Amino acid sequence: MTVTSYRFFVFLFIGAAVYYTAPKRMQWVILLCLSVVYYFLAATPYTILFLILSTVTAYTAGILMECRYFRGNKAAAKWITCITAAAVLINIFVWFLLKGNAFWMLGTRLLHESFPIFLQLGALKIVPALGMGYYTAQIIGYILDCYWGICTPQRNILKLFLFVGFFPQLTVGPISKYSELECLYRDHSFNYINIAHGSQRILWGLFKKLVISDRLAIIVNGIWTDTLFYNGFWPWIVVFVYPLEIYTDFSGCMDIILGAAELFDIRLPENFRNPFFSRTCQEFWQRWHITLGTWARDHVYYPVLKSRMMVRLGKWSKQHFSKRIAKLIPWAAGMWILWFVMGFWHGSSKHIIGVSAYFWTILVLSEICSPGLKKITGLLKVDTESFSWHFFQSVRTYIIYSIGVVFFTADRLTEAFEHVKVLIRTFSHPAWNPWIFFDGSIRSLGVSYRDLNVILLSLAALLGVDVLREKYGYARTWLDRQILPFRWMLYVVLLFAVLIFGMYGPGYNASEFIYGQF
Amino acid sequence: MTREEVYERLNKVFREVFDDDSIIVQDSTTSDDIEDWDSFEHINLVVAVENEFSFKIPMGKVVTMKNVGEMADIILELGK
Repeated sequence: MTVTSYRFFVFLFIGAAVYYTAPKRMQWVILLCLSVVYYFLAATPYTILFLILSTVTAYTAGILMECRYFRGNKAAAKWITCITAAAVLINIFVWFLLKGNAFWMLGTRLLHESFPIFLQLGALKIVPALGMGYYTAQIIGYILDCYWGICTPQRNILKLFLFVGFFPQLTVGPISKYSELECLYRDHSFNYINIAHGSQRILWGLFKKLVISDRLAIIVNGIWTDTLFYNGFWPWIVVFVYPLEIYTDFSGCMDIILGAAELFDIRLPENFRNPFFSRTCQEFWQRWHITLGTWARDHVYYPVLKSRMMVRLGKWSKQHFSKRIAKLIPWAAGMWILWFVMGFWHGSSKHIIGVSAYFWTILVLSEICSPGLKKITGLLKVDTESFSWHFFQSVRTYIIYSIGVVFFTADRLTEAFEHVKVLIRTFSHPAWNPWIFFDGSIRSLGVSYRDLNVILLSLAALLGVDVLREKYGYARTWLDRQILPFRWMLYVVLLFAVLIFGMYGPGYNASEFIYGQF
Repeated sequence: MTREEVYERLNKVFREVFDDDSIIVQDSTTSDDIEDWDSFEHINLVVAVENEFSFKIPMGKVVTMKNVGEMADIILELGK
Protein backbone atom coordinates (compact mmCIF):
# COMPACT_ATOMS: atom_id res chain seq x y z
CA MET A 1 0.00 0.00 0.00
CA THR A 2 1.47 3.32 -1.07
CA VAL A 3 0.35 6.83 -0.24
CA THR A 4 -1.07 7.34 -3.75
CA SER A 5 -3.20 4.19 -3.73
CA TYR A 6 -6.96 4.25 -3.15
CA ARG A 7 -6.44 1.63 -0.40
CA PHE A 8 -4.36 4.19 1.51
CA PHE A 9 -7.15 6.76 1.38
CA VAL A 10 -9.75 4.22 2.51
CA PHE A 11 -7.40 3.28 5.37
CA LEU A 12 -6.84 6.95 6.17
CA PHE A 13 -10.49 7.98 6.39
CA ILE A 14 -11.56 4.84 8.31
CA GLY A 15 -8.61 5.46 10.64
CA ALA A 16 -9.67 9.10 11.16
CA ALA A 17 -13.27 8.00 11.90
CA VAL A 18 -12.07 5.51 14.55
CA TYR A 19 -9.64 8.10 15.95
CA TYR A 20 -12.29 10.75 16.58
CA THR A 21 -14.92 8.35 17.95
CA ALA A 22 -12.49 6.71 20.41
CA PRO A 23 -12.07 8.11 23.96
CA LYS A 24 -9.56 10.97 23.85
CA ARG A 25 -7.07 9.35 26.18
CA MET A 26 -6.96 6.38 23.78
CA GLN A 27 -6.27 8.44 20.65
CA TRP A 28 -2.52 7.93 20.74
CA VAL A 29 -3.14 4.17 21.07
CA ILE A 30 -5.33 4.30 17.93
CA LEU A 31 -2.52 6.12 16.10
CA LEU A 32 -0.08 3.48 17.28
CA CYS A 33 -2.34 0.66 16.05
CA LEU A 34 -2.88 2.45 12.71
CA SER A 35 0.88 2.89 12.33
CA VAL A 36 1.52 -0.82 12.94
CA VAL A 37 -1.27 -1.86 10.53
CA TYR A 38 0.04 0.57 7.90
CA TYR A 39 3.53 -0.80 8.33
CA PHE A 40 2.36 -4.37 7.79
CA LEU A 41 0.41 -3.34 4.70
CA ALA A 42 3.11 -1.10 3.18
CA ALA A 43 6.40 -2.79 4.06
CA THR A 44 8.00 -6.18 4.61
CA PRO A 45 6.44 -7.07 7.99
CA TYR A 46 9.52 -8.45 9.79
CA THR A 47 11.43 -5.19 9.16
CA ILE A 48 9.32 -3.60 11.90
CA LEU A 49 11.92 -5.21 14.17
CA PHE A 50 14.38 -2.51 13.07
CA LEU A 51 11.97 0.20 14.23
CA ILE A 52 11.58 -1.67 17.50
CA LEU A 53 15.38 -1.90 17.85
CA SER A 54 15.74 1.87 17.30
CA THR A 55 12.98 2.54 19.82
CA VAL A 56 14.54 0.24 22.42
CA THR A 57 18.01 1.82 22.07
CA ALA A 58 16.61 5.36 22.34
CA TYR A 59 14.31 4.40 25.21
CA THR A 60 17.11 2.70 27.17
CA ALA A 61 19.45 5.65 26.61
CA GLY A 62 16.75 8.12 27.69
CA ILE A 63 15.84 6.16 30.83
CA LEU A 64 19.50 5.78 31.83
CA MET A 65 20.03 9.53 31.38
CA GLU A 66 17.13 10.13 33.77
CA CYS A 67 18.45 7.55 36.23
CA ARG A 68 19.06 9.02 39.70
CA TYR A 69 22.52 7.45 39.84
CA PHE A 70 23.72 9.42 36.84
CA ARG A 71 21.94 12.71 37.57
CA GLY A 72 24.02 15.10 39.59
CA ASN A 73 26.92 12.68 39.65
CA LYS A 74 29.86 14.29 37.88
CA ALA A 75 31.89 11.08 37.79
CA ALA A 76 29.04 9.34 36.02
CA ALA A 77 28.69 12.08 33.39
CA LYS A 78 31.17 10.20 31.23
CA TRP A 79 28.90 7.17 31.37
CA ILE A 80 26.00 9.22 30.06
CA THR A 81 28.18 10.34 27.15
CA CYS A 82 29.13 6.69 26.49
CA ILE A 83 25.47 5.57 26.64
CA THR A 84 24.46 8.35 24.22
CA ALA A 85 27.30 7.53 21.84
CA ALA A 86 26.45 3.81 21.95
CA ALA A 87 22.76 4.43 21.22
CA VAL A 88 23.61 6.76 18.31
CA LEU A 89 26.24 4.37 16.90
CA ILE A 90 23.92 1.35 17.07
CA ASN A 91 21.35 3.23 15.02
CA ILE A 92 23.93 4.43 12.50
CA PHE A 93 25.42 0.94 12.25
CA VAL A 94 22.07 -0.77 11.57
CA TRP A 95 21.19 1.89 9.00
CA PHE A 96 24.60 1.59 7.33
CA LEU A 97 24.38 -2.18 7.21
CA LEU A 98 20.99 -2.20 5.54
CA LYS A 99 20.87 1.01 3.51
CA GLY A 100 24.49 1.93 3.00
CA ASN A 101 25.78 -1.41 1.77
CA ALA A 102 23.72 -1.26 -1.38
CA PHE A 103 25.81 1.73 -2.49
CA TRP A 104 29.07 1.49 -0.60
CA MET A 105 30.45 -1.41 -2.59
CA LEU A 106 34.02 -0.95 -1.38
CA GLY A 107 32.99 -0.71 2.26
CA THR A 108 30.79 -3.78 1.89
CA ARG A 109 33.60 -5.78 0.31
CA LEU A 110 35.99 -4.83 3.11
CA LEU A 111 33.34 -5.64 5.70
CA HIS A 112 32.65 -9.03 4.14
CA GLU A 113 36.35 -9.86 3.91
CA SER A 114 37.02 -8.80 7.50
CA PHE A 115 33.87 -10.24 9.05
CA PRO A 116 32.48 -13.16 7.01
CA ILE A 117 29.36 -13.19 9.15
CA PHE A 118 28.18 -10.08 7.27
CA LEU A 119 28.50 -12.03 4.00
CA GLN A 120 26.14 -14.61 5.44
CA LEU A 121 23.79 -11.85 6.56
CA GLY A 122 23.98 -10.41 3.02
CA ALA A 123 23.01 -13.80 1.62
CA LEU A 124 19.87 -13.69 3.77
CA LYS A 125 18.85 -10.66 1.70
CA ILE A 126 17.49 -8.73 4.67
CA VAL A 127 15.61 -5.74 3.35
CA PRO A 128 15.77 -2.30 5.02
CA ALA A 129 12.84 -0.96 7.01
CA LEU A 130 10.41 1.49 5.48
CA GLY A 131 11.62 5.10 5.78
CA MET A 132 14.80 3.93 7.47
CA GLY A 133 16.88 7.02 6.66
CA TYR A 134 14.15 9.29 8.00
CA TYR A 135 13.32 7.55 11.26
CA THR A 136 17.02 6.84 11.99
CA ALA A 137 17.81 10.55 11.69
CA GLN A 138 14.77 11.33 13.83
CA ILE A 139 15.70 8.91 16.61
CA ILE A 140 19.35 10.11 16.62
CA GLY A 141 17.97 13.65 16.99
CA TYR A 142 15.84 12.47 19.92
CA ILE A 143 18.78 10.77 21.69
CA LEU A 144 20.99 13.86 21.30
CA ASP A 145 18.19 16.22 22.36
CA CYS A 146 17.72 14.14 25.53
CA TYR A 147 21.47 14.23 26.13
CA TRP A 148 21.61 17.99 25.69
CA GLY A 149 18.57 18.52 27.90
CA ILE A 150 16.42 19.91 25.10
CA CYS A 151 13.69 17.35 25.73
CA THR A 152 12.68 15.11 28.61
CA PRO A 153 13.05 11.40 27.80
CA GLN A 154 9.77 9.63 27.10
CA ARG A 155 9.06 7.09 29.84
CA ASN A 156 6.44 5.13 27.89
CA ILE A 157 8.14 2.92 25.29
CA LEU A 158 4.94 2.58 23.22
CA LYS A 159 4.65 6.36 22.99
CA LEU A 160 8.26 6.51 21.86
CA PHE A 161 7.54 3.84 19.24
CA LEU A 162 4.72 6.04 17.94
CA PHE A 163 7.20 8.92 17.60
CA VAL A 164 9.49 6.67 15.53
CA GLY A 165 6.82 4.97 13.44
CA PHE A 166 3.98 7.52 13.04
CA PHE A 167 2.68 6.15 9.76
CA PRO A 168 2.36 9.15 7.40
CA GLN A 169 5.99 10.16 7.83
CA LEU A 170 7.46 6.71 7.20
CA THR A 171 7.37 7.24 3.41
CA VAL A 172 9.64 10.26 2.90
CA GLY A 173 9.76 12.04 6.24
CA PRO A 174 9.69 14.82 7.35
CA ILE A 175 12.41 14.38 9.97
CA SER A 176 10.55 15.77 12.97
CA LYS A 177 11.96 16.87 16.30
CA TYR A 178 10.50 15.21 19.40
CA SER A 179 9.12 18.55 20.57
CA GLU A 180 7.24 18.89 17.25
CA LEU A 181 5.53 15.51 17.68
CA GLU A 182 4.57 15.74 21.35
CA CYS A 183 1.11 16.66 20.02
CA LEU A 184 0.73 12.95 19.16
CA TYR A 185 0.02 12.22 22.83
CA ARG A 186 -2.46 15.03 23.43
CA ASP A 187 -6.26 14.93 23.15
CA HIS A 188 -7.70 15.95 19.81
CA SER A 189 -11.26 17.00 19.03
CA PHE A 190 -12.94 16.61 15.66
CA ASN A 191 -12.72 19.82 13.67
CA TYR A 192 -14.12 20.22 10.17
CA ILE A 193 -11.31 22.65 9.28
CA ASN A 194 -8.64 19.97 9.86
CA ILE A 195 -10.47 17.51 7.60
CA ALA A 196 -11.02 20.19 4.91
CA HIS A 197 -7.43 21.46 5.00
CA GLY A 198 -5.98 17.94 5.17
CA SER A 199 -8.06 16.79 2.19
CA GLN A 200 -7.16 19.91 0.18
CA ARG A 201 -3.51 19.31 0.78
CA ILE A 202 -3.73 15.61 -0.15
CA LEU A 203 -5.52 16.51 -3.39
CA TRP A 204 -2.89 19.11 -4.26
CA GLY A 205 -0.12 16.59 -3.55
CA LEU A 206 -1.79 14.02 -5.82
CA PHE A 207 -2.03 16.65 -8.56
CA LYS A 208 1.68 17.44 -8.29
CA LYS A 209 2.70 13.79 -8.29
CA LEU A 210 0.27 12.14 -10.71
CA VAL A 211 -0.35 14.96 -13.17
CA ILE A 212 3.01 16.78 -13.31
CA SER A 213 5.82 14.64 -11.92
CA ASP A 214 4.90 11.34 -13.54
CA ARG A 215 4.55 13.06 -16.95
CA LEU A 216 7.92 14.78 -16.61
CA ALA A 217 9.42 11.43 -15.61
CA ILE A 218 8.59 10.01 -19.06
CA ILE A 219 10.71 12.73 -20.70
CA VAL A 220 13.62 12.39 -18.24
CA ASN A 221 13.78 8.57 -18.26
CA GLY A 222 13.28 8.37 -22.03
CA ILE A 223 16.27 10.61 -22.79
CA TRP A 224 18.72 9.09 -20.30
CA THR A 225 17.97 5.51 -21.34
CA ASP A 226 19.09 6.16 -24.94
CA THR A 227 21.69 8.91 -25.04
CA LEU A 228 23.06 7.59 -28.33
CA PHE A 229 19.80 8.48 -30.06
CA TYR A 230 18.87 11.41 -27.86
CA ASN A 231 22.06 13.39 -28.33
CA GLY A 232 22.89 17.05 -28.95
CA PHE A 233 20.46 19.25 -27.04
CA TRP A 234 18.28 16.40 -25.77
CA PRO A 235 20.16 15.83 -22.49
CA TRP A 236 19.85 19.54 -21.69
CA ILE A 237 16.07 19.09 -21.66
CA VAL A 238 16.61 16.61 -18.82
CA VAL A 239 18.88 19.02 -16.95
CA PHE A 240 16.19 21.68 -16.80
CA VAL A 241 13.16 19.40 -16.49
CA TYR A 242 14.49 17.05 -13.80
CA PRO A 243 14.48 19.68 -10.98
CA LEU A 244 10.77 20.24 -11.69
CA GLU A 245 10.16 16.48 -11.64
CA ILE A 246 11.98 15.94 -8.36
CA TYR A 247 10.31 19.00 -6.80
CA THR A 248 6.77 17.98 -7.76
CA ASP A 249 7.50 14.37 -6.78
CA PHE A 250 9.02 15.09 -3.36
CA SER A 251 6.90 18.08 -2.39
CA GLY A 252 3.79 16.34 -3.78
CA CYS A 253 4.46 13.38 -1.50
CA MET A 254 5.05 15.79 1.41
CA ASP A 255 1.68 17.44 0.73
CA ILE A 256 -0.03 14.03 0.91
CA ILE A 257 1.81 13.19 4.15
CA LEU A 258 1.22 16.55 5.83
CA GLY A 259 -2.42 16.47 4.71
CA ALA A 260 -2.85 12.91 6.04
CA ALA A 261 -1.40 13.95 9.42
CA GLU A 262 -3.65 17.01 9.48
CA LEU A 263 -6.72 14.76 9.26
CA PHE A 264 -5.67 13.56 12.73
CA ASP A 265 -5.04 17.14 13.92
CA ILE A 266 -1.28 16.54 13.86
CA ARG A 267 0.92 19.27 12.33
CA LEU A 268 4.14 17.92 10.86
CA PRO A 269 6.94 20.35 10.03
CA GLU A 270 7.13 21.76 6.50
CA ASN A 271 9.85 20.45 4.20
CA PHE A 272 9.61 23.01 1.38
CA ARG A 273 9.19 26.76 1.15
CA ASN A 274 9.14 27.61 -2.58
CA PRO A 275 12.79 26.66 -3.21
CA PHE A 276 12.77 27.91 -6.80
CA PHE A 277 12.08 31.46 -5.60
CA SER A 278 15.49 31.48 -3.89
CA ARG A 279 17.91 34.21 -4.85
CA THR A 280 21.06 32.34 -3.80
CA CYS A 281 22.16 28.72 -3.42
CA GLN A 282 22.44 29.22 0.33
CA GLU A 283 18.84 30.38 0.47
CA PHE A 284 17.82 27.47 -1.76
CA TRP A 285 19.04 24.94 0.80
CA GLN A 286 17.13 26.76 3.53
CA ARG A 287 13.95 26.22 1.50
CA TRP A 288 14.54 22.66 0.17
CA HIS A 289 14.24 19.54 2.37
CA ILE A 290 14.13 21.89 5.36
CA THR A 291 13.84 19.21 8.05
CA LEU A 292 17.00 17.40 6.89
CA GLY A 293 18.88 20.73 6.79
CA THR A 294 17.65 21.69 10.26
CA TRP A 295 18.48 18.24 11.64
CA ALA A 296 22.00 18.39 10.18
CA ARG A 297 22.52 21.96 11.41
CA ASP A 298 21.43 21.25 14.99
CA HIS A 299 23.01 17.81 15.40
CA VAL A 300 26.10 17.99 13.18
CA TYR A 301 27.03 21.52 12.10
CA TYR A 302 26.67 23.28 15.46
CA PRO A 303 28.51 20.64 17.51
CA VAL A 304 31.29 20.47 14.90
CA LEU A 305 31.74 24.26 14.78
CA LYS A 306 31.73 24.45 18.57
CA SER A 307 34.23 21.62 18.92
CA ARG A 308 37.67 22.39 20.35
CA MET A 309 39.32 21.51 17.02
CA MET A 310 37.23 24.00 15.02
CA VAL A 311 37.64 26.76 17.61
CA ARG A 312 41.40 26.19 17.39
CA LEU A 313 41.23 26.28 13.58
CA GLY A 314 39.40 29.61 13.85
CA LYS A 315 42.06 31.03 16.18
CA TRP A 316 44.88 29.77 13.94
CA SER A 317 43.20 31.33 10.88
CA LYS A 318 42.88 34.67 12.68
CA GLN A 319 46.60 34.67 13.43
CA HIS A 320 47.67 33.84 9.87
CA PHE A 321 45.13 35.43 7.53
CA SER A 322 43.09 38.56 6.99
CA LYS A 323 39.79 38.82 8.88
CA ARG A 324 37.72 37.72 5.89
CA ILE A 325 39.82 34.66 5.01
CA ALA A 326 40.09 33.77 8.70
CA LYS A 327 36.30 33.49 8.84
CA LEU A 328 36.09 31.66 5.54
CA ILE A 329 38.40 28.77 6.53
CA PRO A 330 36.44 27.35 9.52
CA TRP A 331 33.17 28.11 7.73
CA ALA A 332 34.24 26.11 4.65
CA ALA A 333 35.52 23.25 6.85
CA GLY A 334 32.25 23.16 8.82
CA MET A 335 30.19 23.31 5.63
CA TRP A 336 32.13 20.41 4.13
CA ILE A 337 31.38 18.23 7.15
CA LEU A 338 27.71 19.25 6.95
CA TRP A 339 27.51 18.43 3.23
CA PHE A 340 29.42 15.20 3.71
CA VAL A 341 26.92 14.04 6.33
CA MET A 342 23.98 15.02 4.13
CA GLY A 343 25.55 13.11 1.22
CA PHE A 344 26.24 10.17 3.55
CA TRP A 345 22.60 10.20 4.66
CA HIS A 346 21.55 9.82 1.03
CA GLY A 347 23.62 6.63 1.17
CA SER A 348 25.77 6.70 -1.94
CA SER A 349 29.13 7.82 -3.21
CA LYS A 350 27.44 9.70 -6.10
CA HIS A 351 25.76 11.96 -3.56
CA ILE A 352 28.93 12.68 -1.61
CA ILE A 353 31.28 13.06 -4.55
CA GLY A 354 28.72 14.51 -6.93
CA VAL A 355 25.96 16.47 -5.29
CA SER A 356 27.64 17.39 -1.97
CA ALA A 357 31.05 18.31 -3.43
CA TYR A 358 29.40 20.30 -6.21
CA PHE A 359 27.14 22.36 -3.95
CA TRP A 360 29.86 22.85 -1.35
CA THR A 361 32.13 24.24 -4.08
CA ILE A 362 29.36 26.52 -5.32
CA LEU A 363 28.69 27.82 -1.79
CA VAL A 364 32.38 28.47 -1.11
CA LEU A 365 32.82 30.22 -4.48
CA SER A 366 29.74 32.39 -3.92
CA GLU A 367 31.04 33.33 -0.47
CA ILE A 368 34.41 34.30 -1.99
CA CYS A 369 32.85 36.23 -4.87
CA SER A 370 29.97 37.93 -3.03
CA PRO A 371 31.87 41.11 -1.95
CA GLY A 372 33.10 41.58 -5.56
CA LEU A 373 29.62 41.02 -6.97
CA LYS A 374 28.17 43.49 -4.44
CA LYS A 375 30.68 46.10 -5.62
CA ILE A 376 29.82 45.45 -9.29
CA THR A 377 26.06 45.75 -8.70
CA GLY A 378 26.77 48.96 -6.75
CA LEU A 379 28.86 50.41 -9.56
CA LEU A 380 26.24 49.48 -12.16
CA LYS A 381 23.57 51.01 -9.89
CA VAL A 382 21.48 47.81 -10.03
CA ASP A 383 18.34 48.01 -7.90
CA THR A 384 18.82 44.73 -6.05
CA GLU A 385 15.26 44.84 -4.74
CA SER A 386 13.67 45.11 -8.19
CA PHE A 387 11.57 42.25 -9.60
CA SER A 388 13.85 41.80 -12.63
CA TRP A 389 16.98 41.41 -10.47
CA HIS A 390 15.17 38.99 -8.17
CA PHE A 391 13.98 37.04 -11.24
CA PHE A 392 17.51 36.93 -12.67
CA GLN A 393 18.88 35.65 -9.35
CA SER A 394 16.18 32.96 -9.12
CA VAL A 395 16.87 31.78 -12.69
CA ARG A 396 20.61 31.70 -11.92
CA THR A 397 19.99 29.61 -8.80
CA TYR A 398 17.73 27.26 -10.78
CA ILE A 399 20.42 26.72 -13.43
CA ILE A 400 23.11 26.05 -10.80
CA TYR A 401 20.81 23.59 -9.02
CA SER A 402 19.81 21.90 -12.30
CA ILE A 403 23.40 21.13 -13.20
CA GLY A 404 24.09 19.79 -9.69
CA VAL A 405 21.23 17.31 -9.69
CA VAL A 406 22.48 15.61 -12.85
CA PHE A 407 24.24 13.32 -10.35
CA PHE A 408 20.85 12.55 -8.83
CA THR A 409 19.51 11.15 -12.10
CA ALA A 410 22.11 8.35 -12.26
CA ASP A 411 22.08 5.04 -10.42
CA ARG A 412 25.84 4.97 -9.85
CA LEU A 413 28.72 7.44 -9.74
CA THR A 414 30.20 6.14 -13.02
CA GLU A 415 26.82 6.56 -14.71
CA ALA A 416 26.61 10.10 -13.31
CA PHE A 417 29.97 10.97 -14.88
CA GLU A 418 28.70 9.48 -18.16
CA HIS A 419 25.76 11.89 -17.96
CA VAL A 420 28.13 14.82 -17.42
CA LYS A 421 30.20 13.69 -20.42
CA VAL A 422 27.07 13.51 -22.57
CA LEU A 423 26.22 17.09 -21.57
CA ILE A 424 29.69 18.38 -22.39
CA ARG A 425 29.63 16.57 -25.76
CA THR A 426 26.60 18.67 -26.78
CA PHE A 427 28.88 21.53 -27.77
CA SER A 428 31.12 19.42 -29.99
CA HIS A 429 28.51 17.04 -31.31
CA PRO A 430 27.98 17.06 -35.08
CA ALA A 431 24.23 16.75 -34.56
CA TRP A 432 23.46 20.40 -33.87
CA ASN A 433 19.76 20.02 -33.20
CA PRO A 434 18.20 23.02 -31.40
CA TRP A 435 15.03 22.57 -33.52
CA ILE A 436 14.02 19.61 -31.33
CA PHE A 437 12.48 22.20 -29.03
CA PHE A 438 10.02 23.29 -31.73
CA ASP A 439 9.49 20.55 -34.34
CA GLY A 440 7.54 18.07 -32.21
CA SER A 441 10.43 15.55 -31.92
CA ILE A 442 9.67 15.36 -28.22
CA ARG A 443 6.68 13.15 -29.07
CA SER A 444 9.13 10.35 -29.89
CA LEU A 445 9.60 10.01 -26.10
CA GLY A 446 5.99 8.95 -25.72
CA VAL A 447 4.49 12.29 -24.69
CA SER A 448 1.73 13.71 -26.88
CA TYR A 449 0.87 17.36 -27.52
CA ARG A 450 -1.96 16.82 -25.03
CA ASP A 451 0.59 15.76 -22.42
CA LEU A 452 2.73 18.81 -23.15
CA ASN A 453 -0.29 21.10 -22.82
CA VAL A 454 -1.22 19.41 -19.53
CA ILE A 455 2.35 19.90 -18.27
CA LEU A 456 2.41 23.59 -19.23
CA LEU A 457 -1.01 24.37 -17.74
CA SER A 458 -0.20 22.41 -14.57
CA LEU A 459 3.11 24.20 -14.15
CA ALA A 460 1.27 27.53 -14.54
CA ALA A 461 -1.13 26.41 -11.77
CA LEU A 462 1.84 25.34 -9.62
CA LEU A 463 3.48 28.73 -10.12
CA GLY A 464 0.23 30.48 -9.16
CA VAL A 465 -0.11 28.46 -5.94
CA ASP A 466 3.56 28.98 -5.07
CA VAL A 467 3.19 32.75 -5.58
CA LEU A 468 0.19 32.70 -3.20
CA ARG A 469 2.22 30.67 -0.74
CA GLU A 470 5.08 33.15 -0.92
CA LYS A 471 2.68 36.01 -0.25
CA TYR A 472 0.40 34.48 2.41
CA GLY A 473 2.56 31.74 3.96
CA TYR A 474 -0.08 29.18 2.93
CA ALA A 475 -2.12 29.27 -0.30
CA ARG A 476 -5.08 28.13 1.84
CA THR A 477 -5.00 31.47 3.68
CA TRP A 478 -6.02 33.07 0.39
CA LEU A 479 -8.40 30.24 -0.51
CA ASP A 480 -10.25 30.40 2.83
CA ARG A 481 -11.15 34.05 2.10
CA GLN A 482 -12.91 33.18 -1.16
CA ILE A 483 -16.65 32.60 -1.43
CA LEU A 484 -17.93 29.02 -1.05
CA PRO A 485 -18.93 28.34 -4.72
CA PHE A 486 -15.54 29.53 -5.96
CA ARG A 487 -13.69 27.35 -3.44
CA TRP A 488 -15.72 24.28 -4.36
CA MET A 489 -15.28 24.99 -8.06
CA LEU A 490 -11.50 24.87 -7.53
CA TYR A 491 -11.74 21.60 -5.54
CA VAL A 492 -13.87 19.97 -8.24
CA VAL A 493 -11.56 21.17 -11.05
CA LEU A 494 -8.55 19.84 -9.14
CA LEU A 495 -10.25 16.51 -8.40
CA PHE A 496 -11.23 16.02 -12.04
CA ALA A 497 -7.77 17.10 -13.19
CA VAL A 498 -6.28 14.34 -11.04
CA LEU A 499 -8.87 11.77 -12.16
CA ILE A 500 -8.66 12.62 -15.88
CA PHE A 501 -5.01 13.63 -16.32
CA GLY A 502 -3.38 11.67 -13.50
CA MET A 503 -0.92 8.96 -14.55
CA TYR A 504 -2.29 6.01 -12.62
CA GLY A 505 -3.99 2.69 -13.16
CA PRO A 506 -2.70 -0.38 -15.08
CA GLY A 507 0.55 0.21 -16.95
CA TYR A 508 1.75 3.00 -14.69
CA ASN A 509 3.78 2.80 -11.55
CA ALA A 510 2.97 6.00 -9.76
CA SER A 511 3.86 4.50 -6.45
CA GLU A 512 7.59 5.11 -6.59
CA PHE A 513 8.71 8.38 -5.05
CA ILE A 514 12.25 9.49 -5.82
CA TYR A 515 12.91 10.19 -2.13
CA GLY A 516 11.24 6.93 -1.10
CA GLN A 517 14.59 5.16 -1.66
CA PHE A 518 16.16 6.84 1.37
CA MET B 1 26.16 40.54 37.69
CA THR B 2 23.13 42.66 36.70
CA ARG B 3 21.23 42.39 33.42
CA GLU B 4 22.53 45.87 32.47
CA GLU B 5 26.12 44.71 32.94
CA VAL B 6 25.41 41.63 30.83
CA TYR B 7 24.03 43.81 28.03
CA GLU B 8 26.99 46.15 28.19
CA ARG B 9 29.36 43.24 27.64
CA LEU B 10 27.07 41.60 25.09
CA ASN B 11 27.05 44.78 22.98
CA LYS B 12 30.85 44.69 22.97
CA VAL B 13 30.85 41.04 21.86
CA PHE B 14 28.28 41.60 19.11
CA ARG B 15 30.18 44.61 17.78
CA GLU B 16 33.40 42.62 17.61
CA VAL B 17 31.86 39.52 16.00
CA PHE B 18 29.84 41.40 13.39
CA ASP B 19 32.42 44.12 12.93
CA ASP B 20 29.78 46.84 13.37
CA ASP B 21 30.11 49.50 16.08
CA SER B 22 26.51 50.66 15.69
CA ILE B 23 24.98 47.44 17.04
CA ILE B 24 22.88 47.82 20.19
CA VAL B 25 21.18 44.60 21.25
CA GLN B 26 18.08 44.17 23.39
CA ASP B 27 15.87 41.33 24.61
CA SER B 28 13.93 41.09 21.36
CA THR B 29 16.95 41.19 19.00
CA THR B 30 17.05 38.09 16.76
CA SER B 31 19.10 36.87 13.82
CA ASP B 32 16.60 38.63 11.52
CA ASP B 33 17.70 42.02 12.90
CA ILE B 34 21.42 41.60 12.17
CA GLU B 35 22.25 40.97 8.52
CA ASP B 36 25.25 38.67 8.94
CA TRP B 37 23.82 36.59 11.81
CA ASP B 38 23.60 33.17 10.16
CA SER B 39 24.18 29.70 11.63
CA PHE B 40 27.97 30.05 11.32
CA GLU B 41 28.05 33.45 13.02
CA HIS B 42 25.69 32.08 15.67
CA ILE B 43 28.41 29.68 16.82
CA ASN B 44 31.10 32.38 16.50
CA LEU B 45 28.94 34.53 18.72
CA VAL B 46 28.45 31.73 21.27
CA VAL B 47 32.21 31.07 21.40
CA ALA B 48 32.89 34.82 21.81
CA VAL B 49 30.30 35.03 24.61
CA GLU B 50 31.89 31.99 26.29
CA ASN B 51 35.29 33.69 26.14
CA GLU B 52 33.90 36.98 27.43
CA PHE B 53 32.08 35.44 30.41
CA SER B 54 34.46 32.51 31.00
CA PHE B 55 32.01 29.64 31.00
CA LYS B 56 30.70 27.07 28.53
CA ILE B 57 27.18 27.35 27.15
CA PRO B 58 25.62 23.86 26.91
CA MET B 59 24.75 22.62 23.41
CA GLY B 60 21.06 22.35 24.30
CA LYS B 61 20.95 26.11 25.00
CA VAL B 62 22.96 26.92 21.84
CA VAL B 63 20.41 25.11 19.67
CA THR B 64 17.27 26.47 21.32
CA MET B 65 18.04 30.13 22.13
CA LYS B 66 15.76 32.30 20.01
CA ASN B 67 16.78 35.85 20.83
CA VAL B 68 19.30 37.94 22.77
CA GLY B 69 16.96 38.04 25.78
CA GLU B 70 17.25 34.25 26.11
CA MET B 71 21.02 34.55 25.68
CA ALA B 72 21.14 37.06 28.56
CA ASP B 73 18.98 34.73 30.72
CA ILE B 74 21.41 31.87 30.07
CA ILE B 75 24.40 34.08 30.94
CA LEU B 76 22.77 35.21 34.19
CA GLU B 77 21.87 31.61 35.06
CA LEU B 78 25.34 30.24 34.33
CA GLY B 79 27.08 33.19 35.94
CA LYS B 80 25.43 32.64 39.35
